[in-house]
Amino acid sequence: MAAASLPAAQPAPLRAVRRFLSSYGLILVLLAMPVAFGIQDLRTEGDLSRLANNLLDGLSNGSVWALVAIGYTLVYGIVELINFAHGEVFMIGSFVAAGFFGTIGLTAATGGAGLVLGLLLTLVLAMLASGVLNTMIERVAYRPLRNAPKLAPLITAVGFSFILQNVGLLWRGGSQQSIIDLVKSQKELFNVFGVSVTNGDALAVCVTIPLVLLMTAFIAKSRLGKAMRATAQDPDAARLMGINVDTTISATFMIGGMLAGAAGLIYALYQTTVWYFQGFTAGLIAFTAAVMGGIGNIRGAVLGGLIIGFIQQLSDNRIGTQWTPAIVFAYLVMIMVFKPSGLLGEETREAG
Amino acid sequence: MSPEQENILEAHGVTKQFGGLTAVNDVSFAIPQGSIVSLIGPNGAGKTTFFNILTGLYKPTLGRVAFSGKNITAGRPDKIMALGVARTFQNIRLFGTMTAIENVMVGQHARMKAGLFGSIFRPPWVRGEEQRVRAKAAETLEYVGLRSGVHDQLATNLSYGDQRRVEIARALASEPRLLLLDEPTAGMNAQESESLTRFMQKLRDDFGLSILLIEHDMRVVMGVSEHVTVLDHGEKISEGEPQAVRSDPQVVEAYLGKQEAERQRAEQEGAV
Amino acid sequence: MPELPRNVRIALTVAVIAFGALLPLFVEGGGGFIDDATLALAYVVMALGLNIIVGFAGLLDLGYVAFFAIGAYTMGYFGSLFHINVNGGEGLHVLVAGPAAELPGIHANFLIIVVLAIVATTVAGMLIGLPTLRLRGDYIAIVTLAFGEIVGRIAINGDEIAGFGTKLTNGRQGITPVDKIDLPFSEPFTALNLRPWYWVAFTMVLIVLFVNFRLRDSRLGRAWIALREDEVAAVSMGVPLVKTKLLAYGTGAAFGGVSGAFLGSYLNTVNADQFQFAFSIFILAMVILGGLGSIWGVVVGAIALSFINNRLIPDVLNDVPERIGLDFDLTELSFGIFGFLLVIMMILRPEGLIPERRRQLELGEGIEDLAKTGDDDDPVYQARVP
Repeated sequence: MAAASLPAAQPAPLRAVRRFLSSYGLILVLLAMPVAFGIQDLRTEGDLSRLANNLLDGLSNGSVWALVAIGYTLVYGIVELINFAHGEVFMIGSFVAAGFFGTIGLTAATGGAGLVLGLLLTLVLAMLASGVLNTMIERVAYRPLRNAPKLAPLITAVGFSFILQNVGLLWRGGSQQSIIDLVKSQKELFNVFGVSVTNGDALAVCVTIPLVLLMTAFIAKSRLGKAMRATAQDPDAARLMGINVDTTISATFMIGGMLAGAAGLIYALYQTTVWYFQGFTAGLIAFTAAVMGGIGNIRGAVLGGLIIGFIQQLSDNRIGTQWTPAIVFAYLVMIMVFKPSGLLGEETREAG
Repeated sequence: MSPEQENILEAHGVTKQFGGLTAVNDVSFAIPQGSIVSLIGPNGAGKTTFFNILTGLYKPTLGRVAFSGKNITAGRPDKIMALGVARTFQNIRLFGTMTAIENVMVGQHARMKAGLFGSIFRPPWVRGEEQRVRAKAAETLEYVGLRSGVHDQLATNLSYGDQRRVEIARALASEPRLLLLDEPTAGMNAQESESLTRFMQKLRDDFGLSILLIEHDMRVVMGVSEHVTVLDHGEKISEGEPQAVRSDPQVVEAYLGKQEAERQRAEQEGAV
Repeated sequence: MPELPRNVRIALTVAVIAFGALLPLFVEGGGGFIDDATLALAYVVMALGLNIIVGFAGLLDLGYVAFFAIGAYTMGYFGSLFHINVNGGEGLHVLVAGPAAELPGIHANFLIIVVLAIVATTVAGMLIGLPTLRLRGDYIAIVTLAFGEIVGRIAINGDEIAGFGTKLTNGRQGITPVDKIDLPFSEPFTALNLRPWYWVAFTMVLIVLFVNFRLRDSRLGRAWIALREDEVAAVSMGVPLVKTKLLAYGTGAAFGGVSGAFLGSYLNTVNADQFQFAFSIFILAMVILGGLGSIWGVVVGAIALSFINNRLIPDVLNDVPERIGLDFDLTELSFGIFGFLLVIMMILRPEGLIPERRRQLELGEGIEDLAKTGDDDDPVYQARVP
């Protein structure tokens, strides 16, 4: 046989290593920091309470990123576009919320029912504002380019991101602005085994979980959700089936924007500062989260958001906040290189 | 003489899986030097996947491919091209914003040497190379029948038939020893198919080329090929001389479905 | 300008060059105009570099600022007081004359620094390019953006990183002063007479233009455009993917490095705050305004945006908001204006002001898209190329 004389394509052990890395490499990379710091804590302090505190703070941070990341993932799932302006939509959500606190007269002294009602009202308003803004961006900047080369809308997205940053800059100036600490976000709510749960943590989780559940249910059950999934699978087939693709895409941007608006409110309450530039970094962090989870996959975006929140908190707490963006971006590059399909990503396009 | 010296290309047990789906399953196959062979099969049979494996675009899950005795399994596409395997695409893939002649010049990339500094400083040998390549491109375009008036038109602006011609010229200009044509007659009428059939024979005679053809038009297949291989669901179900393959009941079944095949068989038996 | 006859083209080119070369003689040597013009020329060099990556090869690079940074830091490292303790405080001097020859720190001749900057940025360009080779177009954009941000972050926080008796960067303080350009057979440059600076920048532009034209009409240029148009067809026609793309990244980056080194010296500072994402977009906007892949277009785009940014917005139009009763500074809006420009250009005139002969915006998609555009015979549309 002639075939027998041909050398093998690749030695088997090398192939096994490759396969292992492509399946578990990302998980190993993600575990590196927590494990290293965990060992360090055990040696210096004897317990893991610091790491556990990082984890908790990371989760509440991460729930904000998760909400923003869902917006990326939904939009990418349906139009295959990195909505670069999404971070700015989140920033505008924060600004609207922060502005509205004053309008309806919420102060640090407002308590109980008044506060809850006020915040709910603000939540709705921030969500609406961001949702409408996102839909408008789609209408103006992406829809005319739907048949253009794929990078054309990405460039307009970058352009819109700058425009919105400037809107933010004019609105609230160039420096970080502190806003009233309505929920006393750093106040400890309760403490379990040395892990301190603050008001801010509780708020982040209490807003995020219902929203995510509501939205997954919406996409799974509602007619519009089904239309979204169909359009994500195959826009032409969906159109033939009588689905209004334009409306569906608008709805997707609306939902993505609303979640970003909610994230903006949480961020404002949790960090008690807002800044016109907050959207840029947040956007990239959330995009990293979406890619990490597997772009197009909602559960993946939530998972990615929580993980990236944790990584970010570890870096903030142990390495220095000024390095955090660089570290997150390094993760982004590594994911893109080694596993662009992400943790939960399937190779196919899908929104649900 | 060992068999691989007579066969310009040999594939042994080639398998390609995508996730759980097997697109090509254990296909062995050979192209004798200087022959025209066809690969046929219903849509989705894995013909183009097989093509992509031969040209290095896909890495086979299992199996080996050898080109004139050299192992090219999972080799880089550009290197396989440089060895002498050129191809066209089913849905014409020209470089739309380049002119016809530039397209054909790109086809000679592997036959050129100018690098970054050569391109910038353009020493005499680079100038000479450019001129040679341009002349060769023009000559090849004439050969495939493209009027010299349209050599400098952008590829997107050419008519469908001319685009097909440019694509073949682009492949030919690299002076390949094996030419892979993926449904070259798609979208052509009977007369055009007929002339393309003659053209393939002329190619073989003029350049001593071997040709592998994916084709749907049975008249073309029967008219031109010395050997036919049939794929269905990624498996080789039949091969041999065109006439023999045509009457193979498995092939008829693959194309027409089981019922129709049985009906035909019954008819034939009835006739006997 | 291929549509013009050859002799008209030559005459035009000579006229443009003569105009550019003689321009400084008719304006004040230390004035604002020549300052703007010099900056504009430095930006032209960068924009032409980015044009190779984005315009020719179709790789959307959103982190071009990294090469500006690396070029500028090369200038800072080898032409300032930055390494003040080197050689026991005596300094190291390589072919420099004038005041720099007496100072501590490393001081190399500007031409040597330019070569070093080219080497450093070419290597950096290829390193950044490597991970993107198999990615789709939009992912390339994000990865290059991330690299640009990482370089920017390292520049800002590099004063925390120390080794070999020196810090990595001076952080936000910046490295200043930086040596003035010192060329053989000429007086050391000064900040008072900007004409020599202008001529250096103008010469850089001419060289870069020459390289751009030569590359465009060459084996390599055709390979870039082929990859941009259809990656699968290009590799099938014998174009090596990795080598060709890396050459695009490397060449494009080198221009950024040259310009970065020049700007380091010209601006007399290497300040970490310069190296932000917005700068990458500023350069990208020049390329898009002029016309992706169109060499003359990019030159025009770069000059136009540079003047808009440095003169029109801060000086001419800055009081417009005030006059119409609004209370803000127009300079604050400059990047919003560029963002707006990107949106408008993409929607209304994606081919740019002076379109490439090919007249089509065609930004490459990754080889993974083979599947999507794949032939319909393929049973599965999700294949990765090895």
